[in-house]
Amino acid sequence: MGKYDKVEGISKRTMVLFFIIDKSYSMSGSKIGAVNVAVREVIPEIQKIAEDSADANIKIAVLTFSSGAQWMYQSAIDAKDFQWNGINVDGTTDIGQAFKLLNEKLARNGGFMTDAAGSYAPAIFLMSDGQPTDEYKKALADLKNNNWFKASLKAAVAIGDDADKDMLAEFTGNLESVLIVHTPEALKKLIRFVSVTASKIGSKSSNAPIDGEVQTKQSDFNQQIVDFNDTLIDSQYDDWN
Amino acid sequence: MEEFKHGQKIKLTNGGELTVVSKLGEGGQGIVYKVKYNDKEYALKWYFPKLIKNPNKFYNNLSKNATMGSPAKEFLWPLAVTDIQNSSFGYIMKIRTAEYKNFAHFLNAVVRFKSTNAVIDATLNMVNAFQSLHRKGYSYQDLNDGNFFVNPDNGDILICDNDNVAPYGESLGVGGKSRYMAPEVVLGKTKPNLDTDLFSLAVVLFMLIYISHPLEGAKVAGCPCLTDEAEKKFYASEPVFVCDPKDSSNRPVRGIHNNVINLWPLFPQYLQNAFVRSFGDGINNISQRLMEAEWKKIFLRLKDDILPCPKCGEENFVSLAQNEIIDCCECKNKIIKPLLLSYRDFEIALAPTKNITEWHTEDGDYLKIVGTVVQNKSNPNLWGIRNISEKLWLVKFPNDDEKTVKQNEVMPILKDVTISFGTKKAIIN
Repeated sequence: MGKYDKVEGISKRTMVLFFIIDKSYSMSGSKIGAVNVAVREVIPEIQKIAEDSADANIKIAVLTFSSGAQWMYQSAIDAKDFQWNGINVDGTTDIGQAFKLLNEKLARNGGFMTDAAGSYAPAIFLMSDGQPTDEYKKALADLKNNNWFKASLKAAVAIGDDADKDMLAEFTGNLESVLIVHTPEALKKLIRFVSVTASKIGSKSSNAPIDGEVQTKQSDFNQQIVDFNDTLIDSQYDDWN
Repeated sequence: MEEFKHGQKIKLTNGGELTVVSKLGEGGQGIVYKVKYNDKEYALKWYFPKLIKNPNKFYNNLSKNATMGSPAKEFLWPLAVTDIQNSSFGYIMKIRTAEYKNFAHFLNAVVRFKSTNAVIDATLNMVNAFQSLHRKGYSYQDLNDGNFFVNPDNGDILICDNDNVAPYGESLGVGGKSRYMAPEVVLGKTKPNLDTDLFSLAVVLFMLIYISHPLEGAKVAGCPCLTDEAEKKFYASEPVFVCDPKDSSNRPVRGIHNNVINLWPLFPQYLQNAFVRSFGDGINNISQRLMEAEWKKIFLRLKDDILPCPKCGEENFVSLAQNEIIDCCECKNKIIKPLLLSYRDFEIALAPTKNITEWHTEDGDYLKIVGTVVQNKSNPNLWGIRNISEKLWLVKFPNDDEKTVKQNEVMPILKDVTISFGTKKAIIN
């Protein structure tokens, strides 16, 4: 044994990647099918990113909503241990309920942000294809007062033309981080890109300051997903068959 | 973008042509392929179209760097640039072989240095590579844990991502990675340059040795969420070195920062002083940052200072001796301080396997060994120095007897003996 045999892994902050997924009845068929495949496929990639990084532990939390909302697991789970349970559709689009549960867990006490080495700002990725069916305004206003939420990286995907893009933009704070997709292929690609980009944000080199202005992580993240969206080949019209 | 397929040909601006073999991996900026060029295998980095902010400038800079050639063998340097094709381009470089490991894996303790000597060799290789780059008038601009690879057995390094390297005063738009960027870049006061490289270099050197970050202690651990604002505070506007002798507010925390707590006291004061200067005064005062030549002297001094424990083999430092005794940091064996070979600018612990190099004898290459400490086969307690150079050494004993030591001859290690290596006359004491 030498001094370097006793070295421990450097302390890493945790970055929780939240997937908030609409599983209302209208998501049935290729929409929920694409979500199930894409998230399940990206988890090993996130695991690899976490292993190759000395910057962040990456944990995953999944919240689904339809008539009511529920967490897939009662804590955020290391990417390497995360087992994806396929999501089945049912019910309505109670997104307000999802905002309420998210607000509860974006906390140290009783929430998911409990790691001793501290956290990075979480990344929150919302996917929905419809109009809210519950009273969500109050829950969203409460969420927007949550400091973890304020600091988080946010992106939303409007799955098809019927999605409430204005509500999604209220959630992300701007319209440019709301991405619209019309096909299962584009949805899958977007889920992968947003998840990978969010997982790498702590390890990525930022751009040089321009006129003394330093780029924030949120603007860097937005820029990356907007650039990617520009290169994404998607139909102009909904095609979910 | 369509990916390249096996057998596909791509033209290089030098008139050559490469053939795609297979995909090796994919990163944020592009895809890396294994390719064949002039019957040899290389890696091709191919950029995703549209992701480079100022593609013409970037491409021209890359081409210039390829023409200039690599500053040192440690760089996976662009050797040739491709023509523009499918609205993008790439460059070829040497392929990294498997014995080089991602430095992040050392930080995660998945890979470990084999010895202290390998750690010091890694720091020396890093410093030499950056000295060569800077002497050519270039800066790297984005040094962090993710862009170099280390051989854990011998400290050899490979530095990748050389596409942001630019001549003095030029910037290709990269700012750097959080926690590795110089404070003045984080605060938006400057773009990366040579001075900011020196800051990032000091961070990386600290992390190679202590497997811990120099600015991450109690203050940083106490922050529940590292927002952009918090990051700016801890790494730029109010940074505190974890071992700052004057400010204890950010000390490493037992249980979180064990590596630096355990390793810091095992290295000599002169190394500690260099980091205190780098992250104390030098954190904001650019003129206080250590240049590569200063680091090199310190790391070579560490190599001279090393003393392997005769019982367990662990490497200790002679300068940590108290009352002529060194307590082995591993097995607690009490090692009697050996004799030293001293001159104005060096002190070599004379123990078996230690080397004298051209750096000592004529300020030359520290890799060129001219003498080595050996043990007598029949009496292992008798130590001597074997001359393995072609030059004659003139040895003078305390009784004024003189003799010359030729190549392959061994001279005894005795107190007050002097050795003249040309102009330098060193003494054993």
